[in-house]
Amino acid sequence: MSLTEVAPVAGQAAGRRGRSGPATRSRLARRRRRAGILLSLPALALVIGLLAVPVGQAVYYSMTQWNGITTTWIGPSTYSALVKDPIFWRVLENNALLLLAVPVAIGIPLAIAALLNEHVRGWRFFRSVYFLPTAISWVVIGMFALRFFSATGVLNGLLAHVGFGASATDMLAGEHSALAALAITFIWSMVGTNTIIFLTGMATLDPTLTEAARVDGLSRVQIFFRVTLPLLTRFIQFSFVITVISAFSALFSLIFVMTSGGPGYGTTTLEFFIYQAGFQQVQLGTAALYGVVLFVIMAIVGLVQLRLIKPDDGGGW
Amino acid sequence: MAVPQIQLKRKITTGSLLILMVIVAVVMLYPFWYIVDNAFRGQAQYDRQSGHSLSGWRQLFANLPVAGQLLNSTVVCVAAIAIILVVSTTAGFAFAKLRYRGSGMIFLLVVSALMVPLQSILFPEFVNLSNVHLTNSYTGAVLVYAALGTPFATFLMATYYRGISDELIEAAVIDGLGYERTFLQIAIPLSLPAVATITVLQFIQIWDDLLVGLFFLPTSQRTITAGLATLSTGRTTSVPSLMAGSLISAIPAIIVYLIFQRHLVKGLTLGMGK
Repeated sequence: MSLTEVAPVAGQAAGRRGRSGPATRSRLARRRRRAGILLSLPALALVIGLLAVPVGQAVYYSMTQWNGITTTWIGPSTYSALVKDPIFWRVLENNALLLLAVPVAIGIPLAIAALLNEHVRGWRFFRSVYFLPTAISWVVIGMFALRFFSATGVLNGLLAHVGFGASATDMLAGEHSALAALAITFIWSMVGTNTIIFLTGMATLDPTLTEAARVDGLSRVQIFFRVTLPLLTRFIQFSFVITVISAFSALFSLIFVMTSGGPGYGTTTLEFFIYQAGFQQVQLGTAALYGVVLFVIMAIVGLVQLRLIKPDDGGGW
Repeated sequence: MAVPQIQLKRKITTGSLLILMVIVAVVMLYPFWYIVDNAFRGQAQYDRQSGHSLSGWRQLFANLPVAGQLLNSTVVCVAAIAIILVVSTTAGFAFAKLRYRGSGMIFLLVVSALMVPLQSILFPEFVNLSNVHLTNSYTGAVLVYAALGTPFATFLMATYYRGISDELIEAAVIDGLGYERTFLQIAIPLSLPAVATITVLQFIQIWDDLLVGLFFLPTSQRTITAGLATLSTGRTTSVPSLMAGSLISAIPAIIVYLIFQRHLVKGLTLGMGK
């Protein structure tokens, strides 16, 4: 192990390797400490002022009735009232149903990554094409999806073309079909990100392993399931976290443009519910309450993520 | 006999893989084609799906201050990214190379702010910023974008700086550069790839964002993405003009993507701590 690798673990004192006397050493250590604190301060201030403090406020306001100006304290009973609210459960059900899209949003990109990983001539071009939607805003994607799924839209045109004209329906008109349309759009836009994650993962694999499996007489499909997939576990976990976070907190714009949460509460997920409560009904206390619930869910997912990130970074911090 | 057969088999495999890749490409590209195709129509032409004209564009420019909003998007992006770069390079360097008692805890605090979805704190944030009169200019939105981008950027920079040898930094300091100049003259130039990654990642994120643009900017300073989304909720707006708006709002992000694709991919996978 090189000195560089040991240094961060071995001790905090600066300048411990000769060259300077004890006086300079402690002076340097002091300056180093001061520089460290000074340089980390702006990031800390930004995060505390604009993220941490509002989280605290949201927790406080979640127990009040608040319209932005006047606040009436109610207490923790807002939470017990929430659990009894059927609409809240209806909204959470939408979030749970969206979770069903997650395995698909991981499975399809896995297959696409395996396809690209065959390195057929031109695969780099196709990789760029598949990743392109990542650069597009949910607003623009929603603009298209709205026209794709509507009664006179592309999907029904296609269905009519192949002889299913009679089954023409407006997917966005039914509560469950609208959520399905939202989920399909979501899956489509996750393809780029997840494919890239898996492709990166496959590039880290030792090619001699698949070679050995091939010599042993395993088929392409067997190799994928028995050799490649188990070695990709870490990458699959990572994409799982990213996909869940996106499903719960990145679909606001898509819902805003595509369905406005409707029909009924058909496509109102928790993040959109917050917006409705606060913006349309000006019940900012209730909005904060939903916000705290969303935050807790995200924090649980985030803790899983931290656990995933950590092993690589060693004991340095 | 056996050799041509194997070659034939290989050709068939390659051919079918290619066909599969083309099918996926069609699915991924179709929306783009649809948007481009229908941006150059009038509403009537859109309804019967034949004929092209510029009337969608004329309508777009009549209903939306496109140039102004593109400028707003640019200003907000540039300002927010500048703040993110300053605070994340400095903090990343401090957390990686200038550890002090408690710096590990502070690092965890900053990075764990990644878990805060803006929706959760939307209204407290909005009321706070409007109380100090920051929601009637670019400032409020820029600050919110900067705060949202800082945790990941700091994590990325700290990971990057950890890869630079401690001895190099210490040698520079002992040779009289001091910590500030060591940071500016040694660390920053070494970390330009990470800086590029953050810039591209944040540009696309901020350019494409709706929520902050909708809430924290006054109507006259709306970004193009927020402007377009608001336009789409108006019932009188024609579909071709929305497609034209989608096209023009997507072009800058697509250009950035095409040029800096590699940095974007790197940022994504660096998120794994690799």
